[in-house]
Amino acid sequence: MLDVQHLEVWYGPTEVLRDVSFTVPANAIIALLGGNGSGKTTVLNAVSGLVAPRAGTVRVAGEDATGAAPHSMVMRGVVQIPQGREVFADMTVQDNLEVGAAVQQNKRAIRQDIAEIYELFPALRARRSARAGVLSGGEQTQLAMARALMARPRLLLMDEPSVGLAPLVVETIIQTVRDLRARGLTILLVEQNVGVAAAVADHAHVLRDGVIAYSGPACDLIDNRDVLASYLGR
Amino acid sequence: MLVLSYLLVTGITTGALYALVALGIVVVYKATEVVNLAHGELFMMGGFLAYTLHVMVKLPYVPSVLLAVAGSFAIGILTDRVAFRPLMKEGLVSVLLATIGISFILKGVARVLWGGKGDYLAFPPLVSPEPMRIGNVMIMSQQLVVLLAALAVMLVFAAFFKTTRAGKFMQATASNPKAAALVGIHVSRVYMYTFGVGAAVAGASAVLMAPLTLLYPDIGFPLFIKGFAAAVLGGLTSVPGAIIGGLLVGILEQLAAGFIGTAIQDVSAFIVIMFALIFLPTGILGMRGTRKI
Ligand SMILES: Nc1ncnc2c1ncn2[C@@H]1O[C@H](COP(=O)(O)OP(=O)(O)OP(=O)(O)O)[C@@H](O)[C@H]1O
Ligand SMILES: [Mg+2]
Repeated sequence: MLDVQHLEVWYGPTEVLRDVSFTVPANAIIALLGGNGSGKTTVLNAVSGLVAPRAGTVRVAGEDATGAAPHSMVMRGVVQIPQGREVFADMTVQDNLEVGAAVQQNKRAIRQDIAEIYELFPALRARRSARAGVLSGGEQTQLAMARALMARPRLLLMDEPSVGLAPLVVETIIQTVRDLRARGLTILLVEQNVGVAAAVADHAHVLRDGVIAYSGPACDLIDNRDVLASYLGR
Repeated sequence: MLVLSYLLVTGITTGALYALVALGIVVVYKATEVVNLAHGELFMMGGFLAYTLHVMVKLPYVPSVLLAVAGSFAIGILTDRVAFRPLMKEGLVSVLLATIGISFILKGVARVLWGGKGDYLAFPPLVSPEPMRIGNVMIMSQQLVVLLAALAVMLVFAAFFKTTRAGKFMQATASNPKAAALVGIHVSRVYMYTFGVGAAVAGASAVLMAPLTLLYPDIGFPLFIKGFAAAVLGGLTSVPGAIIGGLLVGILEQLAAGFIGTAIQDVSAFIVIMFALIFLPTGILGMRGTRKI
């Protein structure tokens, strides 16, 4: 589904990604781990077209998409749920969802999608007329996911969805991620919380010093204290 | 008493037009964080386009107005192409300087095309110049028509943002450009249309104001200052704030002219800007959240 090869990204004079290669097979849940500032968000942004890589390729479903503009990545079915949720705070929940369907044209289909989303996230239906900015952290996370789903993605890029949420809420998010996979989506999940990654992902990659320093089955992460200590710095 | 009501009516009418000028400034600022310093000249161009179509080509008023608004929209889009899109990466100062450049170019164009025929062009009145009586207040029917039309433009404007997809894309882009890009909104295209919409509102206010005043190539700057004062008073990012700000500037200006002296009329907007920046840095309606600078 997603094939990233030899990705190299610089911010001005600083190199953040040196040589990052990994693949995300169709219908898989792949975790991307790494310490603070290791470049996880940068990987997602390079895939989403928000930052331009200096070198390397990004292929989506076999087609070259390197350097494509953000809206064109969304049209290819690659949708990012950004770190910190970034909902449209001044707009209502309903308007956030409508805007989420920016690349969809069929009004009727959009209305149906919204109805379906409300089935999936009943809490959002109850708050459909509320400004997104006043929602709780958990509700905003749900809204960010729901908004991304409105684009009818094939591949979801999730950037630390569990940050700042109570353990019970994190549980529901883990469950949602599993449900989405069951519906046929492919997921690339960026996490700092190894527990979450181990619970849902098939496979994990650990980013460090601008390269993928470790790859392995996600369930091994919890047992593999050496990996955690040396690569995640804890 | 009669004087006061006359001043108030005039103040509200011109104030509604200042509100429209302010709306254009606010829409563009909200989305792009740029104060379009050519906004007054976009207004001026809208007025002259309407004059050309209505007075020179002799088209009826309504089609002239619609065409002038469409023309303003096109000039707004040009502003984006010339000043904003290519210079955004260079920083705010470059964009501001470019908008000043555009204002000079537009003024130059207007002087060549329209300035030679006597400096001030009169736009014919829309309705009979007979004053009307509403209760105790004498009101020029012309003013009433203009006021109602200005309110209609505001309503259309509000409805556009609240209900249409394009309006919601603009809101979303103004609220969070990164998230807007990530849902698939073509952000640079939205900026382009935002400049167009801002200019279209300026054009609409110009064609409404033209029958009440005279048109001349330098009319843009004083109008810009008044609209900017109204926008600052309203907090620079608030649409209702811009409307209230516009009405306040219009009324204050008339009261100052009527009770202090006409000399103060044109500087009153500067005084408003000064006081607003000192005492109400976040505008009369205050600001929700934080403003990105
Ligand atoms: N726009 C930018 N300009 C310059 N440097 C940046 C920019 N964005 C990120 N960086 C730097 O690049 C490095 C990687 O950032 P990135 O956000 O990708 O890390 P991350 O792994 O997502 O971190 P976190 O876990 O804190 O979210 C950091 O050192 C960060 O300071
Ligand atoms: Mg990050």
